[in-house]
Amino acid sequence: MAIAHLDHFSYWYPGASRPALRDVSTWIEPGLTVVAGPSGSGKSTLLRVFNGLVPHFHGGRVSGGAIVADLDVIATPTRVLARSTGFVFQDPELQTVYATVDREVAFGLENAAVPQGVIAARVRDALGEVGIEHLAGRAVRTLSGGERQRVALASALAVRPRLVVLDEPTSQLDPEGAELVLEAARRATADGRAVIVSEHRLERLMPDAGMLLAVDRGRLTEADPAEWRPAASPHAPSRQAPGPEAWRVSGATVGFDGVPVLEDVDLAGCSGEVIALAGPNGGGKTTLLRLIAGLATPMSGTVTRRPGRIAYLPQNPAALLHRPSVRAEVQFTIDRAGEEVSEKPERILGMLGLADLADRYPRDLSSGERQRAAIAAVLAGVPRLVLLDEPTRGMDLEARAALIAVVADLRDRGAAVVIATHDQDLRSALADRVVDVARGRVTERAEQAVQA
Amino acid sequence: MSWTAACLFVVLATTNPAYKTLVLAAALAALVAGAGFRRTRRLLVAATVVAAVAVVLNLVSAHVGETVLFTLPTDLPAVGGPYTLEALVYGATGGVTVAAAILAAAPLSLLLESHEVMDALPAVLSRTGAAIAASLNLVPAVGATFVQVSEAQRMRGWRPRGPRSWAEVAIPVVLTSVESSIQLAESMEARGFGSGPRTHMSPVRMSSRDWVLVIASASAVVLFAISIAAGWARPWAAYPLLTAPPVDPRPLVACLLLFTPALQWRSRT
Repeated sequence: MAIAHLDHFSYWYPGASRPALRDVSTWIEPGLTVVAGPSGSGKSTLLRVFNGLVPHFHGGRVSGGAIVADLDVIATPTRVLARSTGFVFQDPELQTVYATVDREVAFGLENAAVPQGVIAARVRDALGEVGIEHLAGRAVRTLSGGERQRVALASALAVRPRLVVLDEPTSQLDPEGAELVLEAARRATADGRAVIVSEHRLERLMPDAGMLLAVDRGRLTEADPAEWRPAASPHAPSRQAPGPEAWRVSGATVGFDGVPVLEDVDLAGCSGEVIALAGPNGGGKTTLLRLIAGLATPMSGTVTRRPGRIAYLPQNPAALLHRPSVRAEVQFTIDRAGEEVSEKPERILGMLGLADLADRYPRDLSSGERQRAAIAAVLAGVPRLVLLDEPTRGMDLEARAALIAVVADLRDRGAAVVIATHDQDLRSALADRVVDVARGRVTERAEQAVQA
Repeated sequence: MSWTAACLFVVLATTNPAYKTLVLAAALAALVAGAGFRRTRRLLVAATVVAAVAVVLNLVSAHVGETVLFTLPTDLPAVGGPYTLEALVYGATGGVTVAAAILAAAPLSLLLESHEVMDALPAVLSRTGAAIAASLNLVPAVGATFVQVSEAQRMRGWRPRGPRSWAEVAIPVVLTSVESSIQLAESMEARGFGSGPRTHMSPVRMSSRDWVLVIASASAVVLFAISIAAGWARPWAAYPLLTAPPVDPRPLVACLLLFTPALQWRSRT
């Protein structure tokens, strides 16, 4: 029996002339449903229909019908639908209300006025269901991203909803964390529950999927998961021999408040060379990038760089955006760079597939488009040193291929590139060398391991 | 929480700088005793800066009072005119008020977990409490965003050159913070927040120390309120000529009761 049903459902955001969802019809059955589609296609909007955030929280106009757990979505507030639909968002940090794990999982139960004597048992059950009983009582801020997302999933399951929706739950996670979250999502399909997961990396989910929903420009197509085939990983154009040394870290120790994060680091990179930094969340990759950029002062040792502009992409590049259009954002960097030959914003916008979005307000874009806009803003012009911190977070395959082409282009124009990334495809496509950063140490992989 | 409310009541109910300064001292002592100097260092710097801004703003903008310290030419726009001791002291009183309020509220985020704040509120304030608890969780994220944005903008060629240049950092930080708040609100809505009466996972258990603090705080509020009504805590004004603030032992005792957590928390650590 279907748990949810959309019937010729269309939705317009407030003030929009074109619908974000067009005439969508589908039945959601118990089991795993995977939602796929490029950035900005309407995946997140579709998912928000199932708990009524669209239209109740976001406003706008709707036509057609939507039923979830026998409730009319249009007539039922989200806070009531919350008892039937659990929802896990992309960013684990922006869905935490309480500071400790068990209290966080109990939040939805408290809102549903579940009797006090029952709450603790329900919390225990939900933590067990996603395999994190051992985290009960821990401070949420001390957890890794993967652990936090499993806490969010446990919070959703604790209410015992008939439908659980996960909106790109692994986009911020390292591979280990992502696998644990997806495994928990797969297990949540037990007891006749329906689970809908939106993801860019489909290969991990498709073996268990009962249905694949492909979203493109607001239109929905149902597909058979058995017929799905993984797309080929993108590859960068062939690389040239590296040039002279561009930067060097010598015997450096760096940390915060006198506590070392990385110790005795010796590493150097050349012009026209790409170095990938690998390692778990919290291993020190960002600290190493900041050290190379000159943003972190070494407690001992030295850092040297050849003259020239540094392009630095922080972990949340979208936080940079403050100009009225994507083009203006790119122009801002070009103007400030003061390079001899200033290029037009259209060049990098075209390379990143943003030409059609050039006049849009950056913060109105989808999260994937916004990420690309921020990357265009940072990488415009001809930087001599390029430092990228998790640049492919939340990116679809096409956007990743575009990013690879842009980085390869900068490399071939003589930039030294360092990328902190969990993305194996990105490493395989671009990295000349791979450096592991973990437990305060920096270790270069042997050449054959790089190729693996 | 009752102690914070008592501090805020006293510091906002009186114009007398002597009592305000006592509240500031009580808040400072409690905070350092509870959280230690190292954890509170940044907050103390921030409170000092805010207080200093209040002093300077009043000194520059209020050219009234009889004790002139110095005079700038009146044809200087905005800053010209006499600078008086009264304006300086009145500004300092305002600075003490703001600093005391900041430090008195700080234990809610520095010493308590957000669910402890939430659980301590009466049922009628349950929804407000959850909103406060959620917003407290966003505070560290705002700080991290500020660092991230200022570093990345610097790499894009931004340099701090006067107040206007800070807009290029402040705007992304504010926009990101607003977006984070909206996302959190969306998440809370999706988890049924506001759907009706709430329950609590665990009841609040008050220790004898907690009761002592509640009673001391309530006594401070009652005694200070009576002091105002009876005229023992008389109002004070810096203008037109500076005078010493009147001090009465009864409101003074009310202020001294606010030092209770400093004694409790010091003995605990």
